[in-house]
Amino acid sequence: MAGILAPGLGVLAHLERLENQMSRSRKQSEEPQSVQAQERVLGTKIQKLRHLRDDLKAAVRHRRGSVKACIANVEPNQIVEVNEQEALEEKLENVKAVLQAYHFTGLSGKLTSRGVCVCINTAFEGNLLDSYFVDLVIQKPLRIHHHSVPVFIPLEEIAAKYLQTNIQHFLFSLCEYLNAYSGRKYQADRLQSDFAALLTGPLQRNPLCNLLSFTYKLDPGGQSFPFCARLLYKDLTATLPTDVTVTCQGGEALSSSWEEQRASHETLFCTKPLHQVFASFARREKLDMSLVS
Amino acid sequence: MDETVAEFIKRTILKIPLNELTTILKAWDFLSENQLQTVNFRQRKESVVQHLIHLCEEKRASLNDAALLDIICEDVDLFDMKQFKNSFKKILQRALKNVTVSFRETEENAVWIRIAWGTQYTKPNQYKPTYVVYYSQTPYAFKSSSTLRRNTPLLGQALTVASKHHQIVKMDLRSRYLDSLKAIVFKQYNQTFETHNSATPLQERSLGLDINMDSRITHENIVEKERVQRITQETFGDYPQPQLEFAQYKLETKFKSDLNGSILAEREEPLRCLIKFSSPHLLEALKSLAPAGIADAPLSPLLTCIPNKRKNYFKIRDK
Repeated sequence: MAGILAPGLGVLAHLERLENQMSRSRKQSEEPQSVQAQERVLGTKIQKLRHLRDDLKAAVRHRRGSVKACIANVEPNQIVEVNEQEALEEKLENVKAVLQAYHFTGLSGKLTSRGVCVCINTAFEGNLLDSYFVDLVIQKPLRIHHHSVPVFIPLEEIAAKYLQTNIQHFLFSLCEYLNAYSGRKYQADRLQSDFAALLTGPLQRNPLCNLLSFTYKLDPGGQSFPFCARLLYKDLTATLPTDVTVTCQGGEALSSSWEEQRASHETLFCTKPLHQVFASFARREKLDMSLVS
Repeated sequence: MDETVAEFIKRTILKIPLNELTTILKAWDFLSENQLQTVNFRQRKESVVQHLIHLCEEKRASLNDAALLDIICEDVDLFDMKQFKNSFKKILQRALKNVTVSFRETEENAVWIRIAWGTQYTKPNQYKPTYVVYYSQTPYAFKSSSTLRRNTPLLGQALTVASKHHQIVKMDLRSRYLDSLKAIVFKQYNQTFETHNSATPLQERSLGLDINMDSRITHENIVEKERVQRITQETFGDYPQPQLEFAQYKLETKFKSDLNGSILAEREEPLRCLIKFSSPHLLEALKSLAPAGIADAPLSPLLTCIPNKRKNYFKIRDK
């Protein structure tokens, strides 16, 4: 250190500087130590955490294994699943059955992408007969897309009257016509199939089954003259005729008992369904036979 | 009285022929004898109807009364096969002394009629008969094309009178297949209906594409293919098409062109041309046009309207 020792400032300041330098260098030599210490501390912490992680992993594996073992050994879990499936299937069957049961209400429908497909199930005297469909498109104006209604049912007339203004009335009117037609057809079919023995000629019928004519005998094979019946159903929504004419084919003047019979037959045909009238004829015939023998 | 009721009664009465009017009004039993006596039934129908409506108003007719009148007026078709056959034969025999008419009834409520035509002086020609199939209690009959033109009006008249209809109209629908004609005319070519009992849901459609194809192969235009399939299904449905052999279009239209000053576009008169499509099964062929890529979907409504409009012979004029 060259220089004259200046009193006070110079030397002391210098000494201070040197002191600071020394303390700084000491600090620096101290830091790696603390850092090292810190490192050591952290290192141990890391190791501890690693151990903990491994322990937890092992525990999880162990748990899973035991659960699987449980399932394999014991059934109760499986049974619960199967029961759920069965319950669902049962529900599905119930719903299907309910939808099928709608048939018995006579009028049911299913929504389609365009509108609704109405199903009319006709019935007569508790017998379920033919079904007819009307597929409606919901647009303005409401229109019929396609249908399975027979050609001779006045569908276009009924639609012209009611479809746009009152769809309920349209459906009920159509139901009326179809049920009545089904009923008349049923009666004619039953007559042809069940009572052919009492008919002396083929049954004449038209598509709407609203004009029937036939000849019949009360005692087939017997000596009596056959009767000729002509049934007119002017009301297309009815299953009983509006006009009945019964004549005797004999061509001769009828005795009073024959006349009585003829008149009573006319009344019978007007008031009871056709096949039931013939059923009563058949019963009477059986009764007569049993009386005779 | 409600305006709608008045209108309803007016329309119902207008439908009744004058000669039946008094009988029906009596059967209705709504207007009294005295009231009916005040009506002059010999004047014009409109005046008669006006008077009757006035009387109905006086008596305050309700909707129920109107409905009762409607029921009484209903023209019920009591088709009697014997009567039809007799009537039909009589009409033809009265007009042409020489004609052979034979009938055959089938199970489907159809009666087949065979007519051999002669004239006043010649015997019926049994080698060129006309066949007619009439479906009773429907307003339709199908006729074979082997009829001489001069006999057609008479045949029409016989059918109209015997079947108790008012008029007969020729439909522009021809085919060799009676079943297909029936299906179109009676609108019974689509008999699949959605019900709760149908086994296969109608939403499922097979695309017609090979599903088992190599998964490494994809259809670039699958969106377009699906669109075409959907439109075709909406237009033609899932059901088998009725069988027709021809569709004929008689055009009388002015030529339309984008180019200005085209010679054809300047014509005042419409162009006349005839376009005829023929095929062993025309409707199925049309249905396959778009999926095969030959035509754009949707097809022209002139082609797709054939079963709906019940015609395959068209006359097209400018509106």
